Formats: sequence, C-alpha cells, structure tokens
Amino acid sequence: MNRSRIARTAVVAGAVGAVVLTGGGIASAETEVAEPATFTSAFTAMATPAMVINNDGVPTPGQPGASGSFMYRINSDLDVICYDITLTGVTPPYQSPAKTATHIHQGAEGKAGPPRIALPNPEDDGSGKLVSSGCLQGPFTTGVLANGADTGTGFTLAQIEADPAAFFTDSHTAAYAAGAVRGQLTQVPVGGVETGAGGTADTGSSTAPLAALGGTAALAGAAAVALRRRAGRG
Amino acid sequence: MRSGRVSLLAGCLALALSGCGEPAADTSSGPRGAGSAAATASPPTPAPIPVPGPAPAAAPGSAAVVDPATVPAPVSVAIPAIGVVSALPELGVAADGTAEVPTDYDLAGWFSGGGRPGSRGPTVLLGHVDSTAGPAVFYSLRELVPGNVVEVTVADGSTARYAVTGAEQFAKDEFPTAAVFGATTEDVVRLVTCTGAFDRGARSYVDNLVVTAERLP
Repeated sequence: MNRSRIARTAVVAGAVGAVVLTGGGIASAETEVAEPATFTSAFTAMATPAMVINNDGVPTPGQPGASGSFMYRINSDLDVICYDITLTGVTPPYQSPAKTATHIHQGAEGKAGPPRIALPNPEDDGSGKLVSSGCLQGPFTTGVLANGADTGTGFTLAQIEADPAAFFTDSHTAAYAAGAVRGQLTQVPVGGVETGAGGTADTGSSTAPLAALGGTAALAGAAAVALRRRAGRG
Repeated sequence: MRSGRVSLLAGCLALALSGCGEPAADTSSGPRGAGSAAATASPPTPAPIPVPGPAPAAAPGSAAVVDPATVPAPVSVAIPAIGVVSALPELGVAADGTAEVPTDYDLAGWFSGGGRPGSRGPTVLLGHVDSTAGPAVFYSLRELVPGNVVEVTVADGSTARYAVTGAEQFAKDEFPTAAVFGATTEDVVRLVTCTGAFDRGARSYVDNLVVTAERLP
C-alpha cells in the first residue's frame, strides 16, 4: 500500500478522515471525498421492481414501471466508491430505517441481506429524473444495527470485488418499503479501452469530426453527469 | 500501488510485445470476413450485406426490462456502410479491472457481461482501430454517420438492426464508464475503438471513440 497516497487522501477527506485514520471513535461516518485518479474496478446494476425481495426473503415487487441504472466505480486500495445513480419512475419520499434509503446490500439474487453502504438518495435534477453522484470513503456505516453492531462494520469495498454477485443495490420508498427497485451488481470494465496499437489512425487532435454528429440522449446525459462531477470536484 | 493509467499503458505494451500487433493469420477456426474491411484503409466499399431472416431478435421497447441472460448471445456484427463483417468473440474484464480487447485485430468482440439484442442494454462491441501492421476491424468507425445501420446477429440466427445516432470522443483517462457500460433499459449498441492522437512512446491512442446505435423496429 502506498503510504503517500493514503496521506494525500486523508487531506482530501478532511478532518473526519483524519479521525478515522487515527483509529478514533465508534461508527465514524464515511466521508464524501473527491474522485480518485484511478479505480480498480467498476460495477453496474439494472434495478427493476421485479427483483425486490423483502426482509423475510419473499419476492415483493416494487414500483411498477420503475427502473434504476446504478454505476459504481471502486478504488479498493483507498476504500473509495464513486456512485452514479439514475432512477426513472420512482416516486419519493424515500423511507428506510437506515440513514439513507439507497443502499448496497450483501445478498445474492433472490435473497435478502443487510445493507453495507448507505448512499445519498437520488434527487430530481430538474429533468424529472432522480440522480445521485459522488464518492465516499470507508469505513462505512448504515445506521442499521444487527447484534449490536452497525451493519457496515468490518465491510470493505474489496469484498465487492471478491464476489460482486453477492451484492445488490436498491432504493426504498414510503410506498415500497421493501424496495422500489433492486438489481444485482455485475462487473464492467473501468477506464479507457486499448483498441489500437499502430498509430495509422492518428488524428493528431482530440476533436473528432464525428463529435459533430451530436451525442445520443444517453451519452449526453452521462456527459452532463461527468461535467457536474467535475464542477463539484473543483 | 496501482494506477489505472500505468496499467493501461502496461496492457498496451504487453499487447505490442506479445505480437498482437500483427493481425493473426490463423483463421482455421471460426468465421471471418473482416479482413477485407480491415485491409482497406480507404473509404467504404459498400458491399451489400444480406439481412438474414425476417425475425428480429425479440421485440424492443416492451414495458418489462428483459434480463440479458434470457435471450441469445450475439455472434456476429455487420456494418454495411463501412464494410465491416465480423464474428464476435466474448470479452470480459481483465485482472486489473480494464476491458479485455480482441486478440485478433481483424475481429470485433462483445462484452459478455453487458446487455444483448432484445434485452436491456447496452450491447458493447469493442474493436481495434489498427495494429502495427495497419488498419484493423474498426478503422473506419469514425466515418459512420447518423442513420448508418448496424446489424447484430444472435445465436438463434435472427438479426437485430440498429441505427447510428451519434458518436463521442473521450480521453481514455476520463472514459465515461457509466455512459458506455452502465445498465440501461434501452436496447442500444455501443461500438468502441481508439482514436485521437497516437502516443508513440506508449504505443497507444489517447482517446476512445464511442458510437451509439439505437434499436430499429
């Protein structure tokens, strides 16, 4: 582990992070941090109402017609997770016994399981979509106690990398307390794609003629997310 | 300890050193056909590509989100406007978290952990722009314009047709993972290759080109 990087992160994380690193306190809250320069893995989930399982392990369909696109990028060396969440057709108010109502739980498909991370709830970005973006650094707490301990205690992001299918993500609302939408995590590549080795297609500039085509709605939306994140970072 | 940029460069170097720079001559197994397109550095040779069968792979736009695991896997892609015909070997995630890329520069590949035609998206197809020996399967991807058709044939023999809606270029170190690989209810195809300036020291392009195509009825 790179010591200087830890130190730098602690500075970014600020006072709370410093407290955590010095081992102080019980159930210190995770810290909002800037996006790290690199990631070790990425995961997505297509969350749907049909996937929702209640705490007793019984299928309990969520909000009809709703869906959620969840993207998580992880740097397990730093225990940092960056989230980009878009919910469509989910009607707040959110409701959960945890400190937020949007979670990563440990549980296989078709099974219930405790929350390990509580993420900020997606809010209307002005276009009618509910979005949430940012980065958190562990140790994590959820506000839910099991056997006297917070269900985030002892959890690290490396556990998701070790077995992503053992985790799901969801959002809970007042009307759909078991979950409005839920999806299992699946791994996707992180970073750019190495699809050229020769240099024969060198365009010499970073402006593609094709960019003039105008992006698709989906990519344009994502670009907006990226811009927002960049703005937020600054 | 770990840097995405470093690992990307290392991966590229490994490719170059392992001789992947030379398009594989061994075509003893599996279909092939991208060779003509790959070898043609000049503009499109619009050879007509027959569209097999009338049955499209499942109906798009249904209310429920279809799980990709329940529909047939992609087996080949055709992009008539730029003369691309390629089988689609499966691609996954490399040990360092980055995307596996085709070992054969004349073939595109599909990311098997994503969507499929007829289910939720995205169906992501990756192909090299070139090798040290010259143009590769997706060399002409940047020439696509809105409306160009992308045909993806799946394992049951049916073909799903998509129309190009746009293209965007991203620096690799700001690659929009969520926008390209993030799960979506839409049945979309994303074609990914390299573009931009070529870093000769790293033997790697600095940008990625992402072309999006949406499902046709």
